[in-house]
Amino acid sequence: MITSIVKRDGREVPFSVEKIAKAIYQAAQAMGGKDYDEAYAIAQEVGKYIESNGNTKPTVEQIQDAVEKVLIETGHARTAKVYILYRAERSRVREMNTRLMQTYEDLTFKDAKENDVKRENANIDGDTAMGTMLKYGSEGAKQFNELFILDPKHAEAHRNGDIHIHDMDFLTLTTTCCQIDLLKLFKGGFSTGHGFLREPNDIASYSALACIAIQSNQNDQHGGQSIPNFDYGMAPGVKKTYRKLYVRNMSKALELICDIKDSNEFAKEIYNKIKEENGVYPTISNDNNYEELEKAAMLKKGIKEKDYDRCRAFALERGLEETERATYQAMEALVHNLNTMHSRAGAQIPFSSINYGTDTSPEGRMVIKNVLLATDAGLGNGETPIFPIHIFKVKEGVNYNKEDPNYDLFKLSMKVSAKRLFPNYSFLDAPYNKEYYVEGDPNTEIAYMGCRTRVMANNYDKTKQVVGGRGNLSFTSVNLPRLAIKSHGNLDIFFEQLDSKIDLVISQLLERFEIQCKRKVRNYPFLMGQGIWLDSDKLGIDDEVREVLKHGTLTLGFIGLAETLKCLLGVHHGESQEAQNLGIEIVAHMRNRMDEESKKTGLNFSLIATPAEGLSGRFVRMDRERYGVLEGVTDRPYYTNSFHIPVYFPISAYDKIKLEAPYHELTNGGHISYVEMDGDPSQNLDAFESVIRCMKENGIGYGSVNHPVDRDPVCGYTGIIGDTCPRCGRHDGEGISVEKLKQLKGFNDLRGYDENPLEDGDKVTHI
Amino acid sequence: MSNKVVEVNGVVGEGVTFERIRRITGYLVGTLDRFNDAKFAEVNDRVKHSISTGAGLMEQI
Repeated sequence: MITSIVKRDGREVPFSVEKIAKAIYQAAQAMGGKDYDEAYAIAQEVGKYIESNGNTKPTVEQIQDAVEKVLIETGHARTAKVYILYRAERSRVREMNTRLMQTYEDLTFKDAKENDVKRENANIDGDTAMGTMLKYGSEGAKQFNELFILDPKHAEAHRNGDIHIHDMDFLTLTTTCCQIDLLKLFKGGFSTGHGFLREPNDIASYSALACIAIQSNQNDQHGGQSIPNFDYGMAPGVKKTYRKLYVRNMSKALELICDIKDSNEFAKEIYNKIKEENGVYPTISNDNNYEELEKAAMLKKGIKEKDYDRCRAFALERGLEETERATYQAMEALVHNLNTMHSRAGAQIPFSSINYGTDTSPEGRMVIKNVLLATDAGLGNGETPIFPIHIFKVKEGVNYNKEDPNYDLFKLSMKVSAKRLFPNYSFLDAPYNKEYYVEGDPNTEIAYMGCRTRVMANNYDKTKQVVGGRGNLSFTSVNLPRLAIKSHGNLDIFFEQLDSKIDLVISQLLERFEIQCKRKVRNYPFLMGQGIWLDSDKLGIDDEVREVLKHGTLTLGFIGLAETLKCLLGVHHGESQEAQNLGIEIVAHMRNRMDEESKKTGLNFSLIATPAEGLSGRFVRMDRERYGVLEGVTDRPYYTNSFHIPVYFPISAYDKIKLEAPYHELTNGGHISYVEMDGDPSQNLDAFESVIRCMKENGIGYGSVNHPVDRDPVCGYTGIIGDTCPRCGRHDGEGISVEKLKQLKGFNDLRGYDENPLEDGDKVTHI
Repeated sequence: MSNKVVEVNGVVGEGVTFERIRRITGYLVGTLDRFNDAKFAEVNDRVKHSISTGAGLMEQI
C-alpha cells in the first residue's frame, strides 16, 4: 500500500490518485481527450504498478516514469508524448530555478572580488546593497526573458554564444540611450514627476538641471545619457547670469560713484525699461545698442556722462569677472554631481556624456573653458573624475586651426585630456559626419554617446537627421571568430554563415522592437512624458510609443575581427594588407546588410563596433571550450574589441589610426579608436596633438588617447606610479608615518590633499 | 571608491593600494578592481603605440 510520496525537496506528502489522474487528464486534453474516468483508471493502474514493485514511498520521478510506462502500454502513445513533453518542460523550468538560485547564492555570499558576475559592468558596485539588489533583478529578468519571452531560436543562439543579446534583462522594459537636447528641454521648464521645475535663470541652475535631466532619463532607459550640445545648451545660462551680475555691479557703482540711495531699484528699473521697450539686454560681446539706451536713460535721470562711463566700465569688468567665476562653480558642481549622484536604485552613477567645443559665442566659450578647468582640477581630493565622458568636437574653421576662434579651447582640451583622460575627440569633418552638417544648426553636429554610440542618419524621417532626442533602441552582437573557426578557412562558407547569423539578429531585433513599441508614454515618464525623445511631445500619456521609437536605431554589433582574420588567413589586419582588405570586406558586408534592411523596413538599422565589456570574455570562453586553444584566436581570455588591432600587437600610433579609420566610416552605429601613449603626455603635448590631428586627417570619427593615470590615495599624488609613489615613496599597500607625510610639500591634512601643487599656476591661466 | 585611508598608531596607508584609472571600453574606471576578468587581462596586455615614427610596418607593405 502506497502511504506517501517523496517530493523533490524531500518532503513527504500523502499519496493521491486524483493528482495523478489530473495530470494525465491534462495531457489527454491537449490531444482532444475528454474522458476523465479513463484517466482515473490509468492513474489506478500506475498505483498498482508501483505497489507491485514493493515501493510504498515512491518519489515524484518514479511516479512520472510509471505514468509514461502505463500510458504507452495501454495504447495511449500520443497522450504519453504530450505528458513527456510537459515533464521535460517542467524540468527545464526547475533546472532554470536552481540555476537562478545558484546565481542568487553567489551574488549573496561572494564578494565582487571572487564573483565575475558582480563585475560584469564596472560602473556598478556589486558589493553594495543596492548593487546586489540590482543584480538579483537583472539575473532573474535575464533568465525569465530567455525562458518565456524570447523566440526559442534566438534564446538558443544567445545561450550557445552564436550571438549576444545585450541588456537582455531589460528586454521587455525599455530602450538603450538618448541624446538629450538641453535647449529644447529647458525652454519653459520641465517636470520630473514630483513637481515642476521652472525654466532656469542662471548658470548654476542650468548646470543643476542638466544633471537632473541626465539622472531622470537614466532611470527610464538601460544605457547611457548624452548631451549633444552642452556648450550651446549652457550658454543661455551664462547669458542670464551675466545680465544679473552686470546690473548688480552697475548698482554698486551707482551707489558709490553717484551717491544713489536705492541704487538697486534704480539700476533694475532702467534695465527693465530697456528690456521691455527695446528687447535688449547687456551682453558680454556688447553686440547691441544696450549701452546707448542705458546711457540715455541714466543721463535723463541726472547722472553725469563722466560718472556713467565709470559706472559702465566697473559693471563691465566686474560683471564679466563674476560671471566667469559663477560659470566655473557651476561646471565644478556639474562634475562633482555627476560623480556622486546616483540613479537606478542607487547602484550606479549615471552613465553620462557631454559633447562640446563648437559654440564660438563668448558664453559658449566660457562654458567650454570652465568645464575643462573644473575637470582639470579634479574632485575634492584631486581625484580624476570618472564621469561625465567629455567629447570635444573638432571642426575645421571652428577650433582645428590656429586662426580658428576656438583653437585656444582645443589646445586647452588636450592639456586636460593629457592629464585626466578626457575629453575624447569627435571629428565633424570626417566625410560620413560632415554630410549631415548644416552650418549654424548644432543639432546636425555629430555627437557620441557613452562608450561610442552614434545616431545620425534617419531613414524613417529624412527631414529629421539630427542628434537631439534620438538614441539606440537595442543591439545584438554576432560572434565573428566562431564563424571563422567553423568555416575552416573557406570564405564562401564564412560569408554564408555570417548572412544566416545576420538574418537571425535582424529577426531578433525586430521582435524586441515590437515589444518596445507596445510600451506607452507612461512607461517612460521622463523620456517620453517630458518630450525628451523626438516627437514624443505629440503623444498622450496612454499612447503607444511605436511611431516615435522609429527615430531610434536597431543595431548589429560584432567582436573579434582580429581573431576572425587570424583564423581565416593566419594573420590579422595589423600584420597584412590582405587581412586588412578582408576585414573591410567583412565589416562592409555587415553594413550593407543593415542598409538593405533599413530600406526594406523604413527603420534605422545600423552597425556598431560593439563596446563589449561583459562580452569580451564570454564568447571566447565558450569557443575555447568547444574548439580548444587556437593560437591567436582563443588563446587569450578576451576577444579583441570590434575592429581594433589587437592590444598586444606592437604598432605605431599612425599605422593603427590609418588601419582602423576605414572601419569608422562603416560602423555608422558607433565606433572608437584608442592610441596608447607611453609616459606622461602632459610632458609632451605636441605628441598628443599630433595623434589627434592624425586621427582627424585619416577620417577617424571618434578617438581618444590612453595613458596611465594613477593616484596614491594616501598622499594624493596623481600621475604615473610604478612600484613606489614618486611623492611619498611608499609601496603599494604599504603604510607611511603621518610625520613623514606632513613633511611633504603641498600636504594639508589626512583628508585634504593638495594635488600636484606645482601645477596650480596653470589652472588660473586665462585663455 | 574602495580605498579608505585610516590612521593607526601614527601610520596611514596600510593595505591601501594605488588607484589605477584606466579606460575600460570608452568610459573610465577608477580602479582595476572593478574590471571583469577578461577586461583585466586585456588591460594588462595593452602595449604602447610609438608616436615618433610615422612610417611603420604598413607603410612598407
